[in-house]
Amino acid sequence: MRDPHSRSVRSAPYSMLFVSVRCAALTLLLSACSADIPVQREAQPAEQGVYAASYSIVCVIHGDGDYLYHDTSGNEYKADEEALAGAKRVALQNPDAEVFIFHQKPRRHLLFLFPLHDGDFYYYRNGRLLANESYWRDQEQSHFDPEVALYRRFRAENHRETVSLFLYYGHEIPEFGGAGYDASYPDRPFTVQDFAGGLQGFTRDSARVDLMVLSTCFGSTPYTIGALGSFARYIIASPENLHLSYFDLHSLERLDLSLRDGDVSGFAKRFAHQAFERLTRDIQTSVSVAVYDVDRVQEFLQSVHSVYDHTLTTFKGETQPSMATIEHCDCADIPAYVLPTMNKGVDVFYRSARFGRSKLKQNHSGWECWRERGLHAATSQTTEPVLK
Amino acid sequence: MTTRIALGSFVMMLLLALPAHAGGKGELQQYFNNAANKVKATVNPSEKRDILNQSMQTMSKALVMVQGSTSISKDDAVGIDLFIAALQEKQDELAGTNGYVRVPDEQLNAFSNYVVQDMEQADQIITISLITLLLIIILIVLLVR
Repeated sequence: MRDPHSRSVRSAPYSMLFVSVRCAALTLLLSACSADIPVQREAQPAEQGVYAASYSIVCVIHGDGDYLYHDTSGNEYKADEEALAGAKRVALQNPDAEVFIFHQKPRRHLLFLFPLHDGDFYYYRNGRLLANESYWRDQEQSHFDPEVALYRRFRAENHRETVSLFLYYGHEIPEFGGAGYDASYPDRPFTVQDFAGGLQGFTRDSARVDLMVLSTCFGSTPYTIGALGSFARYIIASPENLHLSYFDLHSLERLDLSLRDGDVSGFAKRFAHQAFERLTRDIQTSVSVAVYDVDRVQEFLQSVHSVYDHTLTTFKGETQPSMATIEHCDCADIPAYVLPTMNKGVDVFYRSARFGRSKLKQNHSGWECWRERGLHAATSQTTEPVLK
Repeated sequence: MTTRIALGSFVMMLLLALPAHAGGKGELQQYFNNAANKVKATVNPSEKRDILNQSMQTMSKALVMVQGSTSISKDDAVGIDLFIAALQEKQDELAGTNGYVRVPDEQLNAFSNYVVQDMEQADQIITISLITLLLIIILIVLLVR
């Protein structure tokens, strides 16, 4: 007599196999429904009309957070999507450039079950879109490995002298801690050190890009500029809060005209000035944009390295360092940083907030530091507002 | 009954997913943006002040209520403290108290933009967890009604 259970036992693997096949088929079907269908999987540099590039732009847009802002008419914008649109415009307006755009998106699931790609990649050359792929961002550490792999796969292998630019759009990159930076991967820390580690993959043989644009809040600390200075000749960053409308990208259009002379220093100042003008037009909070000549600021950085390092070590050592105990401030408010070399190699465009405690602050050193909350009045060297 | 529970759970998941999609912070920004829009649509300066003051008071009230909850984390409590302090500064400036010069009538529209923009880039909001943000949003909805 046949054991009534034996059939079900024997058929169980077949059932599982059947279910697995159905799941796989469903997953494939759902993947096929994705809107992110690649335009072209492989670049075709040899095709007609595609030439070597004189300018290389890598743009990483971190859109995995709450990046909403409103204009003065009350219209809502998604900051990362505005930055993406700006980067695409730059790519289309540069006939002599190759442009890599990485849009890091929030992790999402279809029907709460099926993970969707959380990164979009665009590759333009000579003003044309040659590749558009969705990809998976790092699941473990944040070192831009998937982005670097795409960059290496598509970059033009030419021997022409190339001016290289690297742009990062996102929230303030933490100097310590770093958990929660990525909303989709809150347990995965992301710090300046991680960012610098990832930059190595984008620097080609020259080891340094010509210009780095750090479109984040508080990107101008001695530690951040020091760490990123190993990978860039010039850096544009904001010492204070940078409104989510970010740095204006229009200056990057037609680099064949605006950067024809190869004067990266002059170009960086023009970029910073235009970004400053654009922000001050509508923004009531403080606006600060600074340009760093990395080689020329080394003397100052070396002079303050131990002081700043000590501050960071102290905060790292605290059991629960938080914004309750520390706050950002102009380094010029702390006597240890007020050195003759402080302004060397730094060009600052600054306008204070129209309201608030600091509305009468006249200028900014271009360097942002940390201090304990409550020490403001005791250490301030700038002209503090007399509010009444 | 089981179908009802399942359907209810699914709807709840969708409802929870909506603010989660916006990170929870979008609703707070929208709240201040709505207040700014009302200010700009109003001609009378004293009404503008009332709108601004009322919006900040309601937000502060919601924050204090959430802070009183035993379920929030220490980090969230710190974030809420800073948020309340930032709102108080703005209320002081609006009223001209605590060392501030009162915001002139002709600058009230600009001040409403300042409040929106400062909140959009406020790091204290960034540190508050999604669950706590949702709690704040729910309380504001209840308080405004």
